[in-house]
Formats: sequence, structure tokens, C-alpha cells
Amino acid sequence: MTSKQNIDDSPIDFAEKIIRDVKNSKEEGVLKCVQCGMCTSTCPAARHSNYNPRDIIERVLDGDVSILEDDLIWNCFYCYTCHSVCPVGNSVCEVNQILKQIAISNEIGYDKLYEYMGFADSYFTAAIGAIPEIFFDDIDRDVPGWRDFRNNLGEIRDELELDPPLMPPKEVIDEVSKILTITGFKAKIEKIRQSQEVEK
Amino acid sequence: MKSIPDKDILLFRSCLVSVEYPGVESSTKFVFDKLKIDYEISDKQTCCTGLGHYSDVFDQIDTTAIGARNFKIAKNLNRPNIVMMCATCYAINKKSVKLLNKKDDLRNHINQLFEDNGLEHLKYEKDDLKPTENIFHVVDILYGKISEIPKHIKYDLSGYKIATHHGCHYCKVHYEDTIAGFRDPNIIDELVEACGCKTIGWYDHKRATCGTGFRQRYSNPDLSFTATADKMNALCDEDAEIVVHLCPNCHIQFDRYQPLISKREGRDFKAIHLNIAQFIAIAMGGDFDKVIGVKAHTTPVDSVIKELKEVPK
Amino acid sequence: MRDELKVGVFLCECGGNISDIIDLDEVRASLNVEFIGQFENLCSLNGRKIIRDAIFDHDLDRVVVAACSPISHEKTFQDYVKPLNPYLMDMANIREQCSWVHDDKEKATRKAITLINASIEKVKQSDPVDPIFCQTPDEVAVIGGGIAGMNAALSLAKQGTKVTLIEQSPSIGGHMAKIGKVFSPVKIAEECGMCLLNPILNELVWNENIEVLTNSKVIESERRAGTYNLIVEKSPRYVDTEKCIACGKCAQVCEVEVPDDWNDGLSTRKAIYRPFGQSYPESYVIDMDNCTKCSNCVKVCNMRAIKLRGRPERIPLQVGSIIVATGHKLFDMNKRPEYGYARYDDVITQSELGRITGVNGPTKGKLLKSNGEVPKRVVMIQCVGSRDEKPDGHKYCSKICCTVALKNANIIKHKYPETDVVICYTDVRTPGMFEKYYKHTQENEVRFIRGRPGEVVKKKDHFIVRTEDTLKGEFIEIEADMVVLSTAMEPSEGTREIAEILNIGTTEDGFIKESHPKIKPVATDVQGIFVCGTAQDPKDITESIMQATASASKVAEYNYGGVEIEPFIAEIDKEKCILCGDCISRCKYKSMSIQNDEVYIDPMACTGCGKCLVGCSQKAIHVNGNIDEKIMATIKGVLSKKQEGQRMILVFLDNIGYTAADNIGVNRLSYPESIHIIKVISVNRVRPNHIKYALDNGADGVFIGEFPGDLMYDEVERKVVRMKETLEEFNENPDRIMFSKVYIPYFTGLARKLTDFDKKIEELNL
Repeated sequence: MTSKQNIDDSPIDFAEKIIRDVKNSKEEGVLKCVQCGMCTSTCPAARHSNYNPRDIIERVLDGDVSILEDDLIWNCFYCYTCHSVCPVGNSVCEVNQILKQIAISNEIGYDKLYEYMGFADSYFTAAIGAIPEIFFDDIDRDVPGWRDFRNNLGEIRDELELDPPLMPPKEVIDEVSKILTITGFKAKIEKIRQSQEVEK
Repeated sequence: MKSIPDKDILLFRSCLVSVEYPGVESSTKFVFDKLKIDYEISDKQTCCTGLGHYSDVFDQIDTTAIGARNFKIAKNLNRPNIVMMCATCYAINKKSVKLLNKKDDLRNHINQLFEDNGLEHLKYEKDDLKPTENIFHVVDILYGKISEIPKHIKYDLSGYKIATHHGCHYCKVHYEDTIAGFRDPNIIDELVEACGCKTIGWYDHKRATCGTGFRQRYSNPDLSFTATADKMNALCDEDAEIVVHLCPNCHIQFDRYQPLISKREGRDFKAIHLNIAQFIAIAMGGDFDKVIGVKAHTTPVDSVIKELKEVPK
Repeated sequence: MRDELKVGVFLCECGGNISDIIDLDEVRASLNVEFIGQFENLCSLNGRKIIRDAIFDHDLDRVVVAACSPISHEKTFQDYVKPLNPYLMDMANIREQCSWVHDDKEKATRKAITLINASIEKVKQSDPVDPIFCQTPDEVAVIGGGIAGMNAALSLAKQGTKVTLIEQSPSIGGHMAKIGKVFSPVKIAEECGMCLLNPILNELVWNENIEVLTNSKVIESERRAGTYNLIVEKSPRYVDTEKCIACGKCAQVCEVEVPDDWNDGLSTRKAIYRPFGQSYPESYVIDMDNCTKCSNCVKVCNMRAIKLRGRPERIPLQVGSIIVATGHKLFDMNKRPEYGYARYDDVITQSELGRITGVNGPTKGKLLKSNGEVPKRVVMIQCVGSRDEKPDGHKYCSKICCTVALKNANIIKHKYPETDVVICYTDVRTPGMFEKYYKHTQENEVRFIRGRPGEVVKKKDHFIVRTEDTLKGEFIEIEADMVVLSTAMEPSEGTREIAEILNIGTTEDGFIKESHPKIKPVATDVQGIFVCGTAQDPKDITESIMQATASASKVAEYNYGGVEIEPFIAEIDKEKCILCGDCISRCKYKSMSIQNDEVYIDPMACTGCGKCLVGCSQKAIHVNGNIDEKIMATIKGVLSKKQEGQRMILVFLDNIGYTAADNIGVNRLSYPESIHIIKVISVNRVRPNHIKYALDNGADGVFIGEFPGDLMYDEVERKVVRMKETLEEFNENPDRIMFSKVYIPYFTGLARKLTDFDKKIEELNL
């Protein structure tokens, strides 16, 4: 199969967009990739699935935006091993996070977030990051006695004489809610939720 | 060697520690008290957003704005040294401090949002905190007191086969700040040795992830548990009895899911899983129920540590 | 009084090049000097007669030659003004910077008059000074006795120069002695390294011009006008090299066994030992760190050569130049623990493999694992510590590891064709003829996998190398029973130490930095110190020898030619100086030091930039040649010719910028007539008071150009920023000052910048 690069194509723009992202800590790292594969050699997802961090960078440098719709990018463990060994100072782990945020801002990855909305909700109700309830049944199936343990958590904590209590005071929760509203987080979550409703 | 504080510390609470292994918090306090480390916990501090962040729900600006608020709390308490019990809190907060100091646009944007919405008191000034000098994990603080640890050891745990698992978000995210190695992580090994014990040292996949992978555990359990099995098999090959951790999320993956992965692999994985603070607290004489919080553990701690032998005086 | 000095001006027509544009009659009419001469070709021998006759006939004190650029003919006219001192002549550049860049005859003539007037005012400030001539001593110290140092020493010695070769270990020979086999890309065959080294070693030992000091290190160095006073510390050998006949009886009776570093620790040696079979001096040596002083060796030595007591000896050396050949060391494998070097015996380095396959090595040349078996599969991992920007890694390519791996793979394949050899690489770098050797290696059935392995682990009896085959996009686990790591080359401890002792510049990687990577590849940033071999960067034996002989040749140049130096350098008033050392730390050219309780300025290093002047609290420094006054006089000379409504811009350039400006003329481009270029020895010598005076007295703008490669560039840039701030404080427009980078080849850019600046000034004047 022949792929074609037209005279007006500028594949490097995709990498440039990633470099400019505030999350990127590796400056021009992505441009310096020589495809040595050390990331893949140490990647748990590459070991056990078709995820390939080296290939991600190759596609980014090719300007292949279809990667945003590729389910494989969601296999990254965020273990940062590639980030810690990359000999040219790139971080596929960060690039991957940025790709997903671009996907989300393009409304591509919404369905990947539905199950995780609980993480957002718990901020507005308790200012903590709690495992979404939607997973509780799975956990209780996989971890014998987990729900019982959770029910007894108060007692265990009491015995350990832990203070302050689990839940922060109301004014703290309000302040955190406000922050997450003004950063645009709340609006984004609502939009994702609407899309979820529509899909239902 | 970078300088490690032992005072003016805000001990940063972790959501996962609070609801899954509260004994990690009480053990940390127990050990900190023994080592005369000056710390405080604040009820104003909130979650770092880590779980949501690495599930791709939170973007950087949300996380960093929440971070700025927590940093202000530390500043106002005159406790600029923020010390985390969770590897992800450590990575998240260190990154936010770096970004707030380095990326003027981001800092100005967040400060402007605060100002426009009556939250002026949360504004972050450049270099309010320094990533290397102010953001630590509990293991760093313990490492700073490593020569003091042996003086407080009551029980001899040297008879067990001990292995260590170093959380990725402690070792690899800000590797330039990691003490005792990130390619071959050893900080927990050194702390265990300070308790008069030996560890098995290197084992296959020692530096690899616990397998949680954030969304992988829930959305891709096969992938997640296969990665965990790599480690559990390697640990079982070495007959490890106690695996020592520094991150509550790894702790969950190993302790809670060990029976399941045992079944999947058809091998009897028997190791117990302790946080390094719990391990040291046990060696220092902490009570299993009142300090260590063993009731929260899925793999019973007393299945391996059946009795405690005092260190001869 | 300088005003009463008799000045003669000589106008050159340059065969019409000047006179076709500039009306020289008008020029003559406008000048008020003792004598004016004119000729069609002043640089010819007839011109010389005209100038010399006028000097005698009119008793001239100073001369201005209005002709081409001083870059072309300053030396010529300095010679033509004899018997006047050469520095009493100044050139007004009315060709490259006037007739060749302007078309408007009237304006060009007016500008020529201005330039000549500026030269007249400037030359009145000149005093007779003599160039400084330095002749350095002929003796040379070569530091480091590896293949580079040995060749440099030998080349100099054969040219009749006395050389002291200083080696810190007990024998000369360096890494090449232990390398085993070497190969040449042309022959496509591996040859015995020692057999190539030995003749060089012998030749060196027998050369009467060379003194070899082993067990010796340079510990102090002081420089004075091109003479280096070195202190060499020679550690005791405990065996008298004159008496020892290297019979080896002593080692037989020695009870101490320690790892043999010459075999990379793969075998053992005694505490009294000979480093290797062909080591020089041909004598045993005692490793006192491990000696138990049992005296067995003393008793058995028939020659009575051994003494267990001894102390370091300090040897003073006086030399004119130094060649640094202190070499490299190999990357510490503990910094990449994932490859298991410290954990597993059969994970080794290429250097160790070289010892194992060497017939004089621990296994007598047999490729054996630690259990005594021949490996079934050897996997080589490239770029370990090289091309790696992570902590403790090196960003550079170590250059030789690809070919070293190919060589060792071939050696294995020749002897053990059944052993599978796999090289895991990122890029195979075999430039030039080496590519043929790469093909030869492939023909030998060595296999190549493109991927950088992540880790090596041991499972039961064999290793697993985890990597991605990047050409297939597949994660693979390769079983192996021997793993060989191609470790990076890094600066040796000796290289780092000597850089500090001699105060020579290093690269960010710690190698000795050459003065210019293209045109001065063996000079360092300190005059009289040269570098060769792997102390400078990773390279192979061939390149090390080439650089060694190049550095010897540079030393010879220096020894035979001596050095003539422009006299415009800094001088210290010893009465005023309080030895605070401020100037020493300021000097970017490392020209200053404290010697015998005085600040000493090395004339060979000082450029006269004047940076030291500013910081001196005692005003104890001045730079010879009235530089300040000359700049001021030139400014006045230009501005005094300013006419009503005329725009005047002063441009300050040093030799590099001035050459770029000349190039504008040479290429017949143009810029506005308002531009008046003033040549200075260092842009740093243009001081705020010069600029302030210029702007206060009629200059509409000031343009300062500097070459970014100049050591003072940052300094000058900061200074201009400060000047702009000051200007603002006085409510003047800082845009009237402009700072710009200049490059010789980028003269079109300079022409454009000058034109743009003129336009901007025109707008400001509205």
C-alpha cells in the first residue's frame, strides 16, 4: 500500500500541538525520538497487549490523528517506565495522556469516561476521590469480604484513633466545588453526562 | 544528597489510605512520633485528584488548581514541607508545583480565575513551594532518619523473606528526585535493612508496575491482573513472605487481589503486604489493631507474622 | 602637544576603484594637514617610495593612508612607514566602506572626508609601541602514555624536541595494550593489537629525546609568558627499575592475590606484579594498597631490587607546551542496573570480552562462560550509557562501539561458528570504509535486531534479554547465555583532574574542549596546551594517532616560529594593586593569575578587551595603546564633519564584524551614507561615555555588532541593555542604540540591518 504526503501536508503540526500542551514536561522530546524501542521493551501494556508506545510516537510524528480514535491508547498503565528510561528524553506516558485529553476535547473518548464519572461526583459531594460505586459489585466479587470491610471501616478507623474525620468540613467542599466550576471542569462533566444520557 | 526536612511538615492525607488501609496513616504517625518528626494533619486539605486524573477525567488545569489550594493551606500553616503517604499524591503534587513555578501562563490563568471568583486567598506566587525542597513522600522523610531507626527497633523480623515493591509514581515520574534509585529502586530495601532485616533485593520485574494501571483494573481487568501476575510469579519464585509497599494503590492491587490472581495463575501466592510505615511500626512495637490496622488487610497479616520475637537488648 | 603633531595623508586612487566615485581633489582641498600625497596604486613599491620620502622630507610624525581596508593592507603600510613605528599609521577605509558601497559621488566624497578626518584625529592619539615577541621553551610535556600520548611524544622527539612523557599507571601502553585484536576496515581482518603497539613502544623507549615518567601525575601547574612550571609527583614503585630483570621470582613467592585490573578483574595477580608481558618499564611493581609487607619478595630477589619503603618524589618540570592525552574510561555499569552486570557473571562488557578472546587473557583466548562452557548464544547490547540523556548517561554517541561489537562478533564467529551472535542496536554506525566490515560481519552470520533492550534477567540457566524488534513491531524475549554490553566511553579521572589543574576548558560532558571544533581541533582554550586522543572525545586508535601527530605538529609550529603579539594588552600598576583577584575571575580569556604575590598577565592570552579595567577598585589596570582616547578621537573626528541636516550613525565592530562589513563592499552591495564604521580591537572597549558623548554631540544612532562566538558576547549584550536603560533615565530614546549579532558570511544580513537601522533613525528624527 502506498501512502502519500502531499506538498501542503504538515505532519509535524500534530507533534507541535502536543509539545505546546501544558502537561508536556519534556519540551521537544517527542521530536527527538529515534524509534529505538526501549519504551516498548519495558512497557507492561506492550508485553501483554497490542499497545506499542514506540508506534504511538511514530504515528504522532507522522501526523496520524486517527490515533485519537484508536482504542489501544487506552491501554497505558501510566506507570511512567517509558518516561523514566527514554534515552532521548521523550515521555510516551505524557504524550499518551495528552492524546487522550485531545480526544476528549474532540468528544471522541467520552464513552471511556462514563464509568469514571464517580470520581468527579465525589469531589463535589466530599472533596475526595472515591472509587466509583459502579465498580463495587465487581470488587466485591473479586475481593472476598470487601463490602463487609467497607461497612466496618468506621469501627476500624475508630480503633486507630484517626482524626480529623474522613469528610472535610462543608466550607472546604464548597470551595473545592467552586474551583472545579471555574476551571470549566463541571461544565465538561455535565456535557459528558448528557452524552451518556443520549446514548442510553 | 538532597536535604530532607524533619519539621514543618504537613502530612498529606490520602483518599485510598483513609478508606482502604487507614493503618498506614496511624503507622506513619506512630513511626514519625518515635523519630521525633514534627508534622501536622489538616482537615482543610483535600484529595490531590490523582485517581480522577489518571482515569482521564481531570485535566491538568483542574488538578493544578486544586493543588494550588492545598499548597496555600500548607503555606498558611507554616508547614511548607508536604509529605505524602501515597505515590500518586506525591507525583501529582510535585508536578503541579513544577508547573506553577515554571509555566507562567498556567499560573497566571489559575490566579486570574481565583481573583475573578472571590478566591484571591488561594493565589499561588511563583516559587511559593519548591518541587525538590518541599514535596516529599513518607519514605523520603524516613530515609532522612534512617540512622535513628535502629534505636527504636523492638521486634526482630529478620527471619522472613522480605521483598519490596516501589510505587511507579514515587520512583519514575520525578526520577531526578528519587532517592536510592529508580532503575533499580532500593529506598524501601534500605529502610527494611535499617530494621535489622535483609531483603531479597532484585527480582524479575522489580521495577515494574503493580498492574493497577488506574482504569486498567476496572476496565481492562485481564490486562491489569496479567501484569500483576508477572510480579506475583516472580515474588513466588523467590519465596517472598512479606512484600513491603509505599503506595496504597499498589497495596490494594497486591493484597486485595492476591486470592483472585492466585486462582488465575493456579499458584498459591501467600505473601502478606505491608506498607513500609506499617512494617517499621511493627518492628517498633506498634499494636496490630490499634496502630497497624491489620483488620483492613485481605491477606491476614498474622498468616505470616504469627509471633513476634523481641530483639535481644 | 598632540595637536601639533605633523600628519601626512596619502590618498590612493586604487586604479579608479576609489577615484571614480570619490572626488579626491575635493578631499585634498578639505584637509588641513602637513602633507597630502596621492598615487594610483599606493600599495605598490612606488607607493612605498612616495610615503617614505614624504616622511623624511616633511618630518612627519603620523601617517594616514586613505585607501582600501586595513584587513587587506594594514601590514603592508605598517611596513611602508618605516622608520616610523608601525602603530603611528592608521588606515581610512574609503574603498570597501565607501566607494564600493555608495553611488552618489557627492555624498561618498563627503563621507570619505569624514572617515579620513576621523583617522587623522585617531592617529594623533597613537604612541609608538612594539609588538611583543614571545619565544617559548622547546621542552614539551606529554601527559598520558596511551596510544595518543606515545605517538605525540614520538613525533616531537623525532623532530628533535625534548619530551617528558608522564603516565600515572606503572606502565605506558594505555587501553590499546589490553584491547586484544584490532582491525582495519580496508583489510577486513582482525590483527593483533599488541603486535602493532610494541614497535611504537620500543621506538619510544629507545629515543633519547624522550624521558618516560611512570607512576607519575602532574599535581601543580603555573604559567608565565608561555612557560609552564609543572610539578610532577612520582609515586614509589618499590622496585628499582635499573636493577630489576623481570625474572618474576618475587611474584611466585607473593602470597597476596587480588583481581587483575589489566584483565578487567577476570583473573588475579599478586601484590608484586608486572602489569602485562610487554609493559614498560620492564620491571615489577608493588601494589602497596594490597601488600602485607611479608618481605618474601625482598628475600627471593637476587638483584636486590626491592625496597618496601619509599615515598613520593616531586619533580619540577619547565616546558613551553603541553599535550594532554589523558584518555577515557568506560561507563560504570552500576548506573544501568537493569542489565544485571553486577548480578550475573556472564553479563560482561566489550572490554572484558576483548580480554576473554585475547590469547594473553584469563582464558588464553577461549570464549568461555564462568562455568567453563562455550556460550550457545551471545547477545550484544549497544549504546549502554551512550546516546542516553537520563541521569548518569551520556548524550553523545561513543562512536567506536558499533565497530567494536562487529569486531568482537567476528572474532567469536571465526573461532566458534556454532555460537549464535545477536547484536541489538539502534543504528549501526559504520561510516566510510567501515561499512564494508559491517557487510563482512553479516556474511559471517552475525544477526542484527533493531531495538534497544529494556532489561536482562536470569531465568534458571539462561538470560532473557527483553527488547522490541522495532522492525517487526514485536516485543521479544531473547534467550542467551552470555550478554555483552557496549559501554560508553567517558572522560577518565585523569582527564577531569588535568583540566582543573591546567585550567583548560571542558565540554558539558567533561572532555577537554578544543579551541574550535573545525579549524582548531587540537588546540585548547589555553595557549600552548594541546589535546589529542580520547581525552578530547570518543574516537578510535586511528583517529587518536592522527590527532596526536597533529598536536605534535602544532607544538613544532609554536616552538620554531615563536609568537608575535599585538601590544594592546592589559598592564598592572603593582603599586596600586591590592591582589583582590577580581580581575582574575573576570577575565574570560584566563590570562591573569597571581604569581609571586603579583598579578601576572600572560601576553599570549590577553586580548585587550578591558573587562578587567571595569572591576578594578584600585584603578590599577590599564590597557596599552590609548584605546579609550583613540575611540573618543575617532568619534569626534567623524562628528566634527557633520553638516546641517545630515544623518550620522556610528557603527562599532571588531575584526570579525569589520570583515563582514568589508564583504558588503566586496560584493558591491550597499547601505546608506549615514553609516560610519569604526573598527575597535574589542567591542567591549566601547564604553558608555563614548556612546553618551556621541549621542550628545551629533550622532543620531549607535550600532554595536558582535560575533556570538566571542567569549565576551554575553557581556557586551548585557552592557548594551544597561546603556539603553541609562538612556531612558535621561529621557532619551533607547532605540537610538542597537545591538546585533554579526557573522562574516552573513554580510547581506548586516547590510540589511544597517539599512533598517538607518530607516528607524530617520523616523525617530522626524
